[in-house]
Amino acid sequence: MAVFESPKPRINHSMLSQYISRAICFVGRVEKVHPTGKSFTLSDGEGKSASVELNEPLDEELSGVVEVVGVVSNKGAIMASAYNMLREDQGILFDLELYNEALKVIHEYPQHYPFELATSG
Amino acid sequence: MLFVSVSDGGLVGRCISSAVIDKDRLTQAMGVCGGWPPSTALPMFVLVCLVSNISIPPVAFMLSTQLNPMTEDNRLAPNCICQLKRSVTNVLKDGRRVVVILDMEVVKSADEVAGKIGEPQPYVEGESSAHTAFLTITISYGLGGQKLNKCSMNKGPSRAFGGKKGMPPSAMPSTPGGSSKVVPIASLNPYQSKWTIRARVTNKSNIRTWSNSRGDGKLFYMEIVDESGEIRVTAFTQEVDKFYSIIETGKVFYISKGSLKIANKQYSSLKNDYEMTLNGESTIIPCEDTQDVPMVQCNFVSIADLQAREKDTILDVIGVCKSVSDVTRLNTKNNREVSKRTLNLMDQSGKLVEVTLWGEEAETFDGSGQPILAIKGAKLSDYGGRSLSASFSSTIMVNPDIPEAYKLRGWYDKEGHSMAGESLTEARTGGGGGGNTNWKTLADIKTEHLGHGDKADYFSCIATIVYIRKENCLYQACPSQDCNKKVVDQQNGMFRCEKCDKEFPNFKYRLILSANIADYGDNQWVTCFQESAEAILGQNAAYLGQLKDSNEAAFEEIFQQANFHTFVFRNRVKLETYNDESRIKATVMEVKPVDHKEYSKRLIMNIRKMASAQ
Repeated sequence: MAVFESPKPRINHSMLSQYISRAICFVGRVEKVHPTGKSFTLSDGEGKSASVELNEPLDEELSGVVEVVGVVSNKGAIMASAYNMLREDQGILFDLELYNEALKVIHEYPQHYPFELATSG
Repeated sequence: MLFVSVSDGGLVGRCISSAVIDKDRLTQAMGVCGGWPPSTALPMFVLVCLVSNISIPPVAFMLSTQLNPMTEDNRLAPNCICQLKRSVTNVLKDGRRVVVILDMEVVKSADEVAGKIGEPQPYVEGESSAHTAFLTITISYGLGGQKLNKCSMNKGPSRAFGGKKGMPPSAMPSTPGGSSKVVPIASLNPYQSKWTIRARVTNKSNIRTWSNSRGDGKLFYMEIVDESGEIRVTAFTQEVDKFYSIIETGKVFYISKGSLKIANKQYSSLKNDYEMTLNGESTIIPCEDTQDVPMVQCNFVSIADLQAREKDTILDVIGVCKSVSDVTRLNTKNNREVSKRTLNLMDQSGKLVEVTLWGEEAETFDGSGQPILAIKGAKLSDYGGRSLSASFSSTIMVNPDIPEAYKLRGWYDKEGHSMAGESLTEARTGGGGGGNTNWKTLADIKTEHLGHGDKADYFSCIATIVYIRKENCLYQACPSQDCNKKVVDQQNGMFRCEKCDKEFPNFKYRLILSANIADYGDNQWVTCFQESAEAILGQNAAYLGQLKDSNEAAFEEIFQQANFHTFVFRNRVKLETYNDESRIKATVMEVKPVDHKEYSKRLIMNIRKMASAQ
């Protein structure tokens, strides 16, 4: 999918509306999983929730902090292409609030964080 | 001549005659006058005046230099009535008294006064003596052509006698029992030994003892202050025994007859060219009348201005203690325990600075209720940007009784309490709690000339290993427990250690690693010893030594694997000179894994700081 061909900006809930129809990367804590396993909600570092929809239902238990790559729908939900669960029983515990602070810096100073320009020619 | 009557209050008198005496008499007189060295020959007007019909011990009146103009423009002329506003009385060895006039005012000029006034009443002081008529002598030198006025017998105004009645109150307090009046600290100098000052003790040290080839000794020192200034006072050996228990910080004392010498600025940051030492003749008497003596002399710097000041500056600060942490205990290099407490101080500038208290001050400090804290003699450090440290010689005052404190309290209660305050001190986060982390980048070594000073510089940085030299990284060391000296291979199966002066059949391998580390800005060659080397390579020295001899390939593999790892390095840098060539030598003191959370927080804070500074 085209999603994996370019670097995807990391965003939080407040930036979703600016990235409609674009591929993004969203990191948040699992709040609720729909019984069908085809969608779930994540809360970002500011505590705001975003909805994530999958093509196939989940085949594992989802918990903790999850990194989702996908496209933003015009309803503000994330159509996920892939997800990555940051396991809490391994490694250093992920600090979601600190991540959010870093996110704000990256977006405030795009001239210093030219990730978009890293696309291959 | 000055006709002067001596009373408790200001001295009021009338000039009755003056005369010039020759130089020999002058030298004699100077010699008698309390040991003023002739070399300081100031063109002083010495009016030695005596009063007729009055039985008082001989009194000489000397005009201090700044008042010379009064005679030059004839303000001081015979028959004028003058009031001595400030003076100091010294008693000479022969019992004669010399009054040095510091400030004088002509109350009624000579032409306003018509001849004699009233009948002089005999003044009796203690033991009365017969009427004596004295000769009044005026010594004037350095000023030629002084007019001499005819002597005329005059009687002084009757109201001059008998105490304070009708006298304007004097600015000078009376000393208990002593014959000297109090002088300001600012006027103390090595050339006058008989004086009394009235001052408050702002700081008193503990008794320090020492023992050297010349014997044992002890001392204590204190800082005292009065309306005119401050000065440091030291007492040695016998004076320690005499005075240490009498002196209490915060109390006021009359101190007299100390010796003055040029101040050693190395030990004290007080504003005074001189410092005092108590000697066998010195006296210290508690004083009850303390209203005029200030609590402390402080020159407060606004917290916002601390940013602009140089590190290691000693200065005074005052602020609200916005927050305080618990006291912690640290071990010093000499394995001594010391208490430490940090707090945050904020003032009207809206800026916050972290202050560290040490020792007893740290233990006893009570920061509850956000008290006003004033520190005199705090040291400014560049740790965390800007921070303050109260050393053992600083004076800490909680809720001091000074106007600045009240202003701060009012400001804080109204608006300050709701302000978050912008801190000049970077918050310390991450492991190692009490450690001082001086974060630098490798490029800073060159731009900040680290290591160029007298002492080595220590700093922490995050860097990546880009090369490790595997040649000569191991050496054979003495197998003794605490000895790491390189042993000499005797080639007969024995290894000799020069330091232990022994031979051993074995040795232990130790590491000295030469590596190159780099960050985004620069790279740096560093030397790592045993502990840090083992941490970087992930193997202990003994195993590595064994591998080197047996399996070259595996040995090399270890070095390959260790490459391109990132760590927190704590380094020591020092400029060293070998044969005309100066180079920075860097040694790794400690290697630690990167605490990404701490690092991220620090980076974000630095970014925000840099952005707001623009």
